[in-house]
Amino acid sequence: METLIQLVVTGVMVGSIYALVALGWTIIYKCSGVLNLAMGELTLIGAYVCLQLYLWGVPFPLAVAGTLVVGFVLGLVVERLALRPMIGQPILSIIMITVGLAFLFRALVGFIWGTDTRVFEPRVFPMDPIRLGPIVVGQVFLWSFAAALVLLVAFVAFFQYSRWGLMMQATADDEMAALSVGISARRVYALAWALAFMAAGVGGTLLGNINGLNVSVGFLGILVLPAVVLGGLNSIPGAIIGGIIIGVLQNLSGGYLDRLVPGGVKDIAPFVFMVVILMFRPYGLWGWEKIERV
Amino acid sequence: MRLLPSGTFHESYRSDHALWQWRTGFTRVALAAAAVALVGLLPSYSSGYVLGVANVLGYTILSALGVQLLIGYCGQVTLGHAAFIAVGAYGTGIGILQYGLPYPVALAVGALLAGGWSVLFGLPSARTKGFYLIMTTMAAQFVTVDFVIAQYVSQIGGRGVAFSLPPGTIRMGTLVVDTERETYYLMLILVALCTAGVINLFRTRIGRAWIAIRDNDVAAEALGVNIFRYKLLAFFVAGVLGGIAGGFWVSANYGLTPEDYTLAWSLWLVGVILIGGVGSVHGVFFGAAFLTVILEVLKALVFTLADAYPMLNDRFLFVKEMAFGVAIIGFLLYQPRGLAYRWQQIKTYFKLWPFGY
Repeated sequence: METLIQLVVTGVMVGSIYALVALGWTIIYKCSGVLNLAMGELTLIGAYVCLQLYLWGVPFPLAVAGTLVVGFVLGLVVERLALRPMIGQPILSIIMITVGLAFLFRALVGFIWGTDTRVFEPRVFPMDPIRLGPIVVGQVFLWSFAAALVLLVAFVAFFQYSRWGLMMQATADDEMAALSVGISARRVYALAWALAFMAAGVGGTLLGNINGLNVSVGFLGILVLPAVVLGGLNSIPGAIIGGIIIGVLQNLSGGYLDRLVPGGVKDIAPFVFMVVILMFRPYGLWGWEKIERV
Repeated sequence: MRLLPSGTFHESYRSDHALWQWRTGFTRVALAAAAVALVGLLPSYSSGYVLGVANVLGYTILSALGVQLLIGYCGQVTLGHAAFIAVGAYGTGIGILQYGLPYPVALAVGALLAGGWSVLFGLPSARTKGFYLIMTTMAAQFVTVDFVIAQYVSQIGGRGVAFSLPPGTIRMGTLVVDTERETYYLMLILVALCTAGVINLFRTRIGRAWIAIRDNDVAAEALGVNIFRYKLLAFFVAGVLGGIAGGFWVSANYGLTPEDYTLAWSLWLVGVILIGGVGSVHGVFFGAAFLTVILEVLKALVFTLADAYPMLNDRFLFVKEMAFGVAIIGFLLYQPRGLAYRWQQIKTYFKLWPFGY
């Protein structure tokens, strides 16, 4: 029983980071309809920028702020150069341009920072774990959880209450109507990419603090896909809950199934789970169901 | 002497449906014979390096044919084709090592296994479309290669993670495939057979049904095409083609590891057909040639620059990935219909010359 609680708690905490990145993915999809396979590479770039700033001696909170700024600018640039010319192209082309971006970004990160695992040195968060009753949680997890929660709340508040957030929601809902009341769809697309870059960068930084940072952190971008599929592609609460569920599921399958079926169950469990979900609920939990009639 | 007609003019339905759309004049026959001789006699006048590159090119063509069939002709986007190539490769390898099958039989078994495995992951296509289908093909990639093959299939026979097929294990009767030269001819035969098969398949009822599903699945269904069955058939044929590619690569490689069949290879294949042109068999050849040649040029470039910048050498993988990413982005932005379309334009230009249209 204690193992179960332990696994669930850690799962929720890691899952909150997934939720953050999944949120970024959903923002892009909701606003501009782009299925982004480069999400993992966005997390890589953010994480390495933060690491580099931190190693140069910038205090951690400032480094994170710097990451946010760099992410924002990069998001605007990438959207303008690669994605805007692709508006109206078939789905395969749009997916493949994000694949091209993914290859390019990963190669750039690998080329600049190498393949060795890097750590935030000196450690940002204290190493000794905290006891909450029967369960033990590393401080890194706790702080990451807190940071992810703060950012999630900030993003959701941005969508619900700010003028720009409402513009983005309007565009996602009905682009034509949004255009006709004077919302600039172009700016909304650009902002969506900038926000996604920011969310991914912070997600990557937090994950890099937990496990150390190397190119394989980019796998996070693939792992986020089961989360958004589970929640439904265009649902922001769905992405958050999906991310947390995937985190918990991953931990549980690592803790329990690994003994029965040895090998990397932890890494593929989300995908198996996703295929099963798709068989029964092809639009995820809260996705918009597309009804086709002749 | 008449060189080329200024256009294709059909006088009967027969000629309209013909596989060869041009008249066989002397020039054509001479050109074709020269091309066949040039390709067929390649081993006798070129180095082992060129043959090695040609084999990689053949492998890429064989692998990408199945992807082209699924994406370009049936409209089912797949990002997990390396999984089926891996199944074919491991099926062939295990057939040879564990059961002592002759190579052609093992190749056929591997191809059929890959086809069946592909159908299994094509099943969700009954209910899902577009992005959700893409996700299930990606799931196929991870489940097959990173789990089933890496953790279980690799353990068969207690050989550890990498299967080794020392030279001499791959034999057809008395013929042993153990040099680049024999692999090259094997590649030529397989590429010719698969290409001819695929081209002809697209001209039959089945191929027409796939194209109908690609263009508009609702309309296809209304016209009486059993969508689910034809989609599964497409997955099966694509899987078989992937299996053949994998089985062929066994003969060129003397070894098998799951690391040859990653998601990156799946994406690379989609890149091949995008650069070549989606929905065109020519495109597979153009795309494969483009990427393979670019890669070799890069290797040569890095090799010469390595003295000045030693860092380039150990980070070559990243240079390669960067080139691939830039190539895809560039083609999508500036040549979205691929090299096959450019080829078409060049042909038309010469056909109509000296007139503009």
